[in-house]
Amino acid sequence: MKNPKFGYARPTTLDEALDLLASSEDAKLLAGGQSLLPVLALRLGSPDLVVDIGRVPGLDEITLAADGSVAIGALVRHAEVEDSHTVAGYAPLVAAAMPWIGHRAIRNQGTTVGSIAHGDPAAEMPAVCLSTSAVMTAVSARGERSIPAADFFDGFLTTALEPDEILTKVTFPPWRTGDRGAVVEQARRHGDYALVGLSARVHVTDGVIDEAVLAFLSVASTPVRVAAAEESLIGSAPSTDAYALAAEVVSNNLTPGADVHATANYRKHLAGVLTKRALEQALMSEVAA
Amino acid sequence: MSPQNEQGVRVVIGGTIDIECTINGEPVAVETEVRRSLSDVIRHEVGLTGTHLGCEHGVCGACTVLIDGKAVRSCLMLAAQADGADITTIEGLADGDEYHPVQQAMHDAMAFQCAFCSPGFILTTVALLDRKPDATGDEIKQELSGNLCRCTGYQSILDGAAKAVELMSETANPPGQPTADQASGERSDV
Amino acid sequence: MTDQRTQTSGLGFVGQSVKRVEDARLLRGQGTFVADVIPSNCLHAAFLRSPFPHARIASINAAVARKLDGVVAVVTGAELEQMTNPFLPFTQQAGLYTPLYYGLSAERVRMVGDPVAIVVAASRHIAEDALELIEVDYEELGPVASISQALNPSSAQLWDKANHNLLYDHTDQFGDVDAVFASADHVFTETFSCPRQSNQPMETRGTLVEVDPVTGDVTVRSATQSSHALRWMLAAYTERTSGLRSLKQFLTNSDRRSGFLAGAKAVFAEKGEALQESDNAGMIDQIKSDKSTVPNLMRTLAGVAGKERYVKVVADDIGGGFGAKGSVAREDVAVAAVAMALGRSVTWIEDRVENLMDGGQAREEDLTMTVAVDADGTLRGLKVDLIIDQGAYPATPVGAALTARIMQVMQPGSYRFEAFEQRSRIVATTKGKYVAYRGPWANETWARERMLNVVARNLGMSQTEIRRKNMYGDEDWPDPANLPTMLTGPTLDVTMSVRKTLDRAIELADLGTFDAAKADAESRGKWFGVGFASYHEAAPGPPNYFDSINPGTGALVDQPGRVTVGVDGKIRVFTSQMPHGQSHETTYAQIAADQLRVGIEDIELVFGDTSRTPFELLGTGGSRGGPVGGGVVRKVSRRLRQELIDSAADLLEANPDDITIEAGNVHVAGVPAKGVSFADIAAHHMKAKGTAIVDRDAVFDVDDNYNGAGDGGWSVATHVCWVEIDKDTGFVEIPRYLVVEDCGPVINPAIVDGQVRGGVAQGIGAVLYEKVAYDERGTHQSTTYLDYLVPTSMEIPTIEIEHLETLSDGENDFRGVGEGGMIGAPAAITNAIEDALDVTITEQHLPPSRILELAGVVEPD
Repeated sequence: MKNPKFGYARPTTLDEALDLLASSEDAKLLAGGQSLLPVLALRLGSPDLVVDIGRVPGLDEITLAADGSVAIGALVRHAEVEDSHTVAGYAPLVAAAMPWIGHRAIRNQGTTVGSIAHGDPAAEMPAVCLSTSAVMTAVSARGERSIPAADFFDGFLTTALEPDEILTKVTFPPWRTGDRGAVVEQARRHGDYALVGLSARVHVTDGVIDEAVLAFLSVASTPVRVAAAEESLIGSAPSTDAYALAAEVVSNNLTPGADVHATANYRKHLAGVLTKRALEQALMSEVAA
Repeated sequence: MSPQNEQGVRVVIGGTIDIECTINGEPVAVETEVRRSLSDVIRHEVGLTGTHLGCEHGVCGACTVLIDGKAVRSCLMLAAQADGADITTIEGLADGDEYHPVQQAMHDAMAFQCAFCSPGFILTTVALLDRKPDATGDEIKQELSGNLCRCTGYQSILDGAAKAVELMSETANPPGQPTADQASGERSDV
Repeated sequence: MTDQRTQTSGLGFVGQSVKRVEDARLLRGQGTFVADVIPSNCLHAAFLRSPFPHARIASINAAVARKLDGVVAVVTGAELEQMTNPFLPFTQQAGLYTPLYYGLSAERVRMVGDPVAIVVAASRHIAEDALELIEVDYEELGPVASISQALNPSSAQLWDKANHNLLYDHTDQFGDVDAVFASADHVFTETFSCPRQSNQPMETRGTLVEVDPVTGDVTVRSATQSSHALRWMLAAYTERTSGLRSLKQFLTNSDRRSGFLAGAKAVFAEKGEALQESDNAGMIDQIKSDKSTVPNLMRTLAGVAGKERYVKVVADDIGGGFGAKGSVAREDVAVAAVAMALGRSVTWIEDRVENLMDGGQAREEDLTMTVAVDADGTLRGLKVDLIIDQGAYPATPVGAALTARIMQVMQPGSYRFEAFEQRSRIVATTKGKYVAYRGPWANETWARERMLNVVARNLGMSQTEIRRKNMYGDEDWPDPANLPTMLTGPTLDVTMSVRKTLDRAIELADLGTFDAAKADAESRGKWFGVGFASYHEAAPGPPNYFDSINPGTGALVDQPGRVTVGVDGKIRVFTSQMPHGQSHETTYAQIAADQLRVGIEDIELVFGDTSRTPFELLGTGGSRGGPVGGGVVRKVSRRLRQELIDSAADLLEANPDDITIEAGNVHVAGVPAKGVSFADIAAHHMKAKGTAIVDRDAVFDVDDNYNGAGDGGWSVATHVCWVEIDKDTGFVEIPRYLVVEDCGPVINPAIVDGQVRGGVAQGIGAVLYEKVAYDERGTHQSTTYLDYLVPTSMEIPTIEIEHLETLSDGENDFRGVGEGGMIGAPAAITNAIEDALDVTITEQHLPPSRILELAGVVEPD
């Protein structure tokens, strides 16, 4: 199980990286490599050129803007996000997702933005991006553009990024007063890809839910929201009944697939169970109050 | 990762790259094919065969090494990515005849059987205790769940890691600092 | 820091958790595993493998691959057939058809992962590049993906000379089965299915064939559980010599007398008659089915007999095996043949995907259990219909038929049945090969212990009541001179203490707490259940155990051992056991050091190297390392002690009865200051014996055999598993797991506990996490560690262990413990899950989605 042949480039500026990326029909970006390296080792992919952006300056920062939004650069490792007080304080759903991502040794090397750019529907961060309305910053020789998370995940391992674009950072909007959230998932073993998971964000005003986003992983070819379930929560006070209704709607609306780990029916059922658990966890303080 | 070689590199398909890094405190320079993983280079070009390959796709953890004190899977890194890095392998832990405290604790706990997985477990424990010197049993169990052992049922390894916490708290503070974060913020409700 | 060095001298190492000798190198990353040795100019091998479960190879073209820079050779299946002999029946049962096959497949592939070509190149990377350049034109044939497909007459046939896909169909009866079933109050029947599992040692398989460029000598370094068996097989399969040349060489070549042939000759001279008894009927059946067996056998024997120089096999550190490395691999033959043909060293290190495809799969069996029982719960009769899915290619030397025989012998278990019948069938399917996996017969325990619970539920009894009522106990062997036997043959004695383990387990489990625990679990949304399972295993078994499996095989299982003292006083113990995690270097040093009154560090264990270790084919397996491997070390060490004392008596001019040894100091009792060292005695002995001693490293040289005869006996246990199952997710937690076991005197408690826990962990994996998955088209769906789920530290609970240490009357009490954990666990866990869900469970693999289906929460897809 050894890597195929490929060319390798290690640019030291973003412009150089963009030039390299545009120079080849089949170039792959390498940041942490925790998704790319297994693909290479199993020879599931064989790029002409691997562009290692590991030494490109300016991409390794977590920045807190004045409005409370948090931007994570392309080279920030999951472990740095996990340990960051800024993320814990201002992007709590991102922080909540971190312990679910593989194991610490993977998080030490893998990058959060790389995981988003990879667009794996079984990964946590794409769902977190959906649930938080994160904004992607894509840069190419043609310039810079912003892509809302809702428009970013196109299909299985496919995103709105053009072949010559680099996802340089992902910005998580301010976490507002009244925002509540939870990341919940169930995997066969600790650290495995989830059988089903979700990143849930709800907003509560005066004891009533006025916004709800339920973004699921491992149930389709992209992370998906279940609008009907979200709508069922709007206008309700946090309650067991409201959660149960949302859970039922989730189960009825999702059409997950089957694999060696679980049947489709089980995944539908589990999505409902986890919906309830995520809402309970997110709104625990509301119910108590 | 720090310190690093900052020069740009461009290698065509089939070409080689010069890598300089520090392994177990010794400077190492090798020329290798760019497609080679860090684990292959450590094992076969540097000759440190204590780093084992169990799955080569990042699941089993046998190939774990420390880069700048942090545990990583050496099978999931190109050697080229480690250019300039400070690497510790299992061979770098003991001080002559003296075991590293984590090795000593694992020995005392009779932690391993075939021990093929032991380099990964030991280095993962070293990294954990560097970050959390007073790691609890649950934290140890959680952290070591990234490494597979097929012989022991894990209990003896967890016991060994717990003994290491004791042993290391008895001796002088180990080198390395807990990860510092640049910014601090107020935590909101989750 | 302290090291092994502090564990010096004295008596009584046996019974203590002496720290592991192996750690000194292994914990420092200084072990020598097969992948760690790469001679200069060594070539690297990779195999092209079939992506299809069953296909005809219409053509194969390696021209482009051969031209790739760095590629030294590409050998296809057809080419390898010209260079080697096929794998041949080794333990041939009557009525068994064993297909002949080569290291590579030439005309047809029969499983995903079937090797069709080998590439050797300057690096493994280049070898894998070349694989992509080999063009194979496959014509797909029908898959045979399950037992039911194999038995369906319309399915494709894998082996032309077999009876469709049925390779073995044999029935034996013990007692008057019809009468017992006719007279019993009830008859219950249920079919239990176990899916395919995989051994999955953390080190994959691997073999380095080193060819000396000057002499042509071949040294094979391999991750093997038996270096002598590998040597024999490689000699047999890589040598194709004409009969005449062979005869000439046999008569003139002295090398044939050394090593393998000498060992084999001794065994066959002594045991030939008994061995013939076992093998003849099987071989006649085989030849009737497949006449090509004869010329291949003759050519192989001629090759072996006339071989000029036998390969030497060396094995150092091995990263686990669990049975998977007991088989001689097809890849080993291909690598050896190519290396010998090229005159170059070649290494092959299996990768994990290869390992998951064909590194060893196991356990896929259906067992229909029919029990005759009286209304009061008295077990009367048992009928078992066993079908084993052996996959495409039979493992060698231990194939599925031997497992079927062992399962039959052990099937009635620890219970007093009056009559027993077993039908055993083996089918061929398009899957990876079925190998021995830690307690290869374990599904007899699983199915029986499951069935007992089914019977108990039907009769309104508890699972502990039905066991206690029917289990053998000390009242069954009042007269040591007149011991009872199991229905299937093996003798029972005081070491079959299984009921003591059950009674102790019942005490520790505290049955009175179950109701409260159930209520508590219910309040947290969980189903609660407890499962019991008991078994006895032959580790090593009574003297008639192997002959009960197959008459004549008892002759094969003598365990040789040797101990020497050099002129420098150095003590070396030689074993044919092949350590791969069991800590032989520590436990054998404990045993020898106790006998010789020296320190642990004074003993060196020599293993793995066929030029240095005694000839024996089993290597390590069958929980034999402690009882017979350790037994022979004790035997030869004890003899050596007497020789040392006799020689010391001569040197010290004293009576041998007055000589004692303390901490390596041999002296007249009470006068330690005037003692002599082992080196002094060796020097004296050498002088006394003169030219009779040729080897300065073996001035004293004691060798002997041991087979457990006179002692042997059973290793027994009761497992109890508690489960709590989340009613919403179907996830199973194990809040408590208890093992009460009796393997006689424990050599090293920490090592024994490690064996038990490791086995239980594999049992937990089998039930809750691991499954080798093939879909109905024969596509392999678990070829990475993302799909084959080896449990982590988060999934394995704390496992409580209590040891009972029943002594026997013989000179050696050690009984084996390597396999037991894996034998008891699947039964205890599935019994607990059944107890929790209150439905009958007939399968062994129970992932969360299946749990919720059984509970009626989720519909199957």
